[in-house]
Amino acid sequence: MSTQKLTFKKCRDLILGIFLLALSVVYIIFARQIQTRPKMTPTYANAQVLPTLLGILLAILSAALIYQGIRSFKKDDGTAVKKMSKVDLVSVVLTFAAMCLYIVILPKFGFILSTVVFLFAQITILAPKEKRNLPLFAIVAVIFTIIAFIAFRIGLSQMLPRGPIEALLGY
Amino acid sequence: MSIGSLIAAGFSTVLTPTGIFLMLIGVAVGIVFGALPGLSATMAIALFLPVTYAMASANAMTLLMALFIGAISGGLISAILLRIPGTPSNVATCFDGHPLVAKGQAAKALGVGVVFSFLGTVFSTILLMFLSPQIAKVAINFGPYEFFSIAIFSLTMIATLSSGNMIKGIIAGVIGFMFSTVGTDSIESTQRFTFGITSLKGGFDMLAVMVGLFAVGEIISAAETSHHKNDEVVTQPSMKGIKGFGFTVKEFVGQLWNALRSAFIGMGIGILPGIGGGTSNMLAYTVAKNSDKHADELGPLGTGRIDGVVASETANNATIGGAMVPLLTLGIPGDTTTAMLLGALTLHNLTPGPLLFENQAPVVYGIFAAMLISSVIMLFMEFFGLRMFVKLLNIPKYILLPCIFVLCTIGAYNLKNNMSQVIACILFGIIGFAFKKFEVPTTPFILGFILGPLAEQNYRRGLMRTGGSFIPFLRSPISLVFLGIAVFVIVLAATKPLRQKRKAAKAAAK
Repeated sequence: MSTQKLTFKKCRDLILGIFLLALSVVYIIFARQIQTRPKMTPTYANAQVLPTLLGILLAILSAALIYQGIRSFKKDDGTAVKKMSKVDLVSVVLTFAAMCLYIVILPKFGFILSTVVFLFAQITILAPKEKRNLPLFAIVAVIFTIIAFIAFRIGLSQMLPRGPIEALLGY
Repeated sequence: MSIGSLIAAGFSTVLTPTGIFLMLIGVAVGIVFGALPGLSATMAIALFLPVTYAMASANAMTLLMALFIGAISGGLISAILLRIPGTPSNVATCFDGHPLVAKGQAAKALGVGVVFSFLGTVFSTILLMFLSPQIAKVAINFGPYEFFSIAIFSLTMIATLSSGNMIKGIIAGVIGFMFSTVGTDSIESTQRFTFGITSLKGGFDMLAVMVGLFAVGEIISAAETSHHKNDEVVTQPSMKGIKGFGFTVKEFVGQLWNALRSAFIGMGIGILPGIGGGTSNMLAYTVAKNSDKHADELGPLGTGRIDGVVASETANNATIGGAMVPLLTLGIPGDTTTAMLLGALTLHNLTPGPLLFENQAPVVYGIFAAMLISSVIMLFMEFFGLRMFVKLLNIPKYILLPCIFVLCTIGAYNLKNNMSQVIACILFGIIGFAFKKFEVPTTPFILGFILGPLAEQNYRRGLMRTGGSFIPFLRSPISLVFLGIAVFVIVLAATKPLRQKRKAAKAAAK
């Protein structure tokens, strides 16, 4: 046991179980605070019943998962653990950041401007280093945005977030 | 109206210039989504939903059904040429498909795959056409007891069968159910878990949840592996000197029994919730392998026999017709793709269930007609347009996935014409990514989210009717059977490790 390294894969079930147990407790607390209308529905069929049951069920299941986690933790199966490399982690974080930034700038700068910037950034993040071709990515970003704008805003008359370029075009 | 005139009405709904155009586009895009590993039928339908917002409901469903049929079949291209199944429905297609390529019979493998995909779809659609109105007639008498039990039965099946770990499967279902409780309670009209946030009052939108979980989650996951070298380039199969679909009439006739058996397996599995195309192709393949009589002269299955491709491709496409049965007659989706279709139907104010056959018969029969015509289009487009699809397979994922994310954003934005659903989409994307990391299956989550309200409302209505007693739920024969099967499935799954241990001990003793 002492030589075993603590890895994510090993304590995965344990971490998940503990997190879900905490979640179920919080969920039950909020479920008991749901307003009910005793004159309209009897206690056994009010708005609290199912959420409470679900909370209890999740608590029991997470306890079972914790038990399973402890058992598999003790049992060293000897399988090699694949670690997430630093590059992978950076790319996941950057992807997530790009998505968040996109939804922040969309309502301010409008669909066209935000999408071109987002697509260029996101393709660059995802592309392997040796295949990075920035001019090509920029062209793809611009062309795809134009096609999407024409198809959805003009062709299908759907609403898209408005910004300076949309205002200039009169959409 | 007689069934003949209903079918004729269905065809006339779909066979318009717009309808035909939509089916051509739908099948082509579907094949691409099916062929590209990592993209799926579910994602194709999710992305095309916003396109259908402004369409008439019949046209919208025509496009979506064409996408569904194209995507389930398209996976065979990468399964055969790359040995990577395009979707989980094509796993067994690789086993014999790729060895056939190695033998220089790529065109034959593809031809057999395409033709039997077609036959599987047509077979299951015709059965669906005659079976579903009958089921709808029975289901029209269902009350809260039956609907509650069917919802619980479906949830149990999905949670226990869709993953290797039963506890995690049920946990995923319960969490999905929990998310469905957010919003205004439909019986008491009180707020649940809204925390004063106005946009939560209507609850989470089904489409935002699904697009987030599948598309956004998939993109975040792809970021993890995008830096790994992957120089796999798909080579064009040689089509020189190929007559027809690349196989002989004798070969075709020799496969008919295998195809029929696989079609029944696919259809049956499709009707049952939670199992789906991912299992039906494997099961049909295993049955074909076990009952193979030509192993001595032709070599066993897996060494490049068309039998394997026939079994897998007939079964997975027959699953489509099967999966449509509970969706249309009861409003219960059996997997994520039909869940997406449920979302589409609801969006177009069509409530699936027994009443759909009475109130919207032309749309229902239009769906059947679209399935049949789309499969004919798929048959010719997939085989003769193969070179084009193979070229598309070489578009790098790092360009494709960000573009898909933009389409997801447009779709989510258009649900309410504001950013609230886009934010929800990202939130569910993170949940999807976390699920993947912790190896929790996402399908039970989605089905819990969709079937949860159905189970809850019928449970509470049932109890109010009985004055708080659960006994009447067990007195209805249909309800009792479904609840009984649900309990049986849980017990069976829970005691599986125990049985395996005993079996191993017995084997060791021997």
